[in-house]
Amino acid sequence: MRTGARALVESLEKAGVEVLFGYPGGAVLDIFNCLPEAKFNFVLGRHEQGSAHMADGYARATGKPGVCIVTSGPGATNTITGLATANIDGIPMIVITGQVALSLIGTDAFQEADTTGIARGVSKHCFLVQSADEIPQTIAEAFYIATHGKPGPVVIDIPKNCQQALTAAKYPERVSLRAYHPESTATVRQLNRLAKLINAAERPVLYAGGGVIASGAASDVAALAHRAEIPVTTTLMGLGSFDEHDPLALGLSGMHGSAAANWALHEADLILALGVRFSDRVTAKISEYAQRATLVHVDCDPASINKNVRADLGIVADVKDVLTTVSSRVKTATHPAWLKRIADWKRLKPLGYRPLHDGVIMPQAVVEAIDRASKGRAIVVTDVGQTQMWAAQYFRHNRPRHFLSSGGMGTMGFGIPAAIGAAFAQPDETVVAICGDGGAQMTFEEVVVAVEHRLPVVFVVVNNGCLGMVRQWQELFYAKRYAGSILGSKGRMTIERIDESALDYDYLPDFVKLAEAHGAKGYRVIDPAKLEPTIKKALAARKTAVVEVIVEPRANVYPMIPGGKSVTEMVFD
Amino acid sequence: MNEEVYRFNCYVENKPGVLARIVGLISGRGYNIQTLNVGPTEDGTVSRMKIDILGTARVIAQITSQLQNQVNVIEVTCRKL
Ligand SMILES: Cc1ncc(C[n+]2csc(CCOP(=O)(O)OP(=O)(O)O)c2C)c(N)n1
Ligand SMILES: [Mg+2]
Repeated sequence: MRTGARALVESLEKAGVEVLFGYPGGAVLDIFNCLPEAKFNFVLGRHEQGSAHMADGYARATGKPGVCIVTSGPGATNTITGLATANIDGIPMIVITGQVALSLIGTDAFQEADTTGIARGVSKHCFLVQSADEIPQTIAEAFYIATHGKPGPVVIDIPKNCQQALTAAKYPERVSLRAYHPESTATVRQLNRLAKLINAAERPVLYAGGGVIASGAASDVAALAHRAEIPVTTTLMGLGSFDEHDPLALGLSGMHGSAAANWALHEADLILALGVRFSDRVTAKISEYAQRATLVHVDCDPASINKNVRADLGIVADVKDVLTTVSSRVKTATHPAWLKRIADWKRLKPLGYRPLHDGVIMPQAVVEAIDRASKGRAIVVTDVGQTQMWAAQYFRHNRPRHFLSSGGMGTMGFGIPAAIGAAFAQPDETVVAICGDGGAQMTFEEVVVAVEHRLPVVFVVVNNGCLGMVRQWQELFYAKRYAGSILGSKGRMTIERIDESALDYDYLPDFVKLAEAHGAKGYRVIDPAKLEPTIKKALAARKTAVVEVIVEPRANVYPMIPGGKSVTEMVFD
Repeated sequence: MNEEVYRFNCYVENKPGVLARIVGLISGRGYNIQTLNVGPTEDGTVSRMKIDILGTARVIAQITSQLQNQVNVIEVTCRKL
């Protein structure tokens, strides 16, 4: 017999947990009391949102569930953004929340919140534990659910009395759930039809999403692409599933995708959509999406097929399984005319930018400098906004699990803690967070965690003095009325503000001082000539550092398909 | 596509929170439940939910998949009323 709290810690050890992220409070103190003897490390975040994103970053970097523990009430509600972020991107995660004693539930007790009720819509599954005896089984089931079918976050709410009660319950050897059997494979007919479509296609495109990375199918995508000479575009979540140095790479597609990628999808006669969910950010105007193509959609989630676009052939199965079994039926092929057309588009509308002011760093150049300084090997973790899109566009992504970004939720504040989680997962790799000045301020407190654990994460803050993505939309669609998008001490609603000389900006906060106050090394770069050397220096030091780069505030993300428009209405610089 | 009323017969594990998850799933996606009836089955660990929803064939197919994805849903059938 041992307490439920000890049974929980034991179960986490059995589940293979290496690191537990979290934050304490009254309703989890019994569990925290067992942590000094635990076989895994505990990492104290500085805000539960940070702890949740750390667990998420850990999961994205490894594919293993990230685990996070928080107290009841406000501790639990602070994880909601983290849950939603992981849920929509299909990231396996376990969030353990303390709860008031069963006898107090429903009495509006101190720090009581209906956690499972609140978390239901932003998680894959929620458990409210009813007794200490349930704890080992529940943990095992939670890990099973988080990692089978489409991965996702699972919440386990554990009342305090269950943590304190004694139990002899054992961690189960195997898990089999009565009602949840998500495994599904392609039928022979489907595979034959798929092979036939590929073999007959004249203008095929492979369209790879986060599901390719989740299923470990990047090498299979490359093999198919090379065998049948099929160009490959990826979604934001799919970046890294295909090496962008490859001549068949089209890069990112969607709202800020490359012209070649979007036009190829538009003119394709066959789209092989693998592990994608056709978000509105990639389809643009849905009624005009890929009208000429036969659309094959392979995904492990049956609900994603025919949700946003109709599939001519929908296959509910693991992407890797499908690709390995179909490959022998696919003939080697070449598509010279199609590739020529694509090469022409690449030449006509390459990705690029021009400096707007002499001596002022362009934000895109920051991303290129990170690519060069890390020799293309960094795990790039982004925050959200313009900077995220430039990180997606200008880094040459080349391996899975090396571009970690909040895709579906677009959660500002994700970058810093997720990078920390990734650094715990991959201590030997170079981890670079690329954040905007707005997003960096949302979770900057977590930088101390990197310092405390001596993680060599380099947090690059691309400082344009504004909420750039909002400012861009206001410039393009709201008559340049920059309401609430200018950061800094003069930040107020003035429409002329942005047209002042770029360097007239007053920047707040001072990110170098902020870095130093958190115990990290701080660098500021204003001079374009110092950009790459400073990033190199920060990377070489293998110490937690913040590199603030003052960039051109008027830069916009292009190309762009404005909301509700179709690919043919793509806007260029 | 025109909207029609469909009846879902949903067999679920009789556990706390299951009803809320099913109802939340449907209403949270903007679909309107016309009738909801929950009752026991001969097997005390299984409940049966009868849910009538107005929707297009495509919406109904989507709801069916979403219901099948739920961890506590044992079986879903659906027919036009
Ligand atoms: C939590 C959250 N709040 C608001 C938004 C809406 N939003 C999207 S991008 C953006 C601006 C981001 O500014 P910054 O971090 O400075 O990055 P930049 O666009 O300037 O590169 C905002 C406010 C969001 N995505 N997430
Ligand atoms: Mg900014």
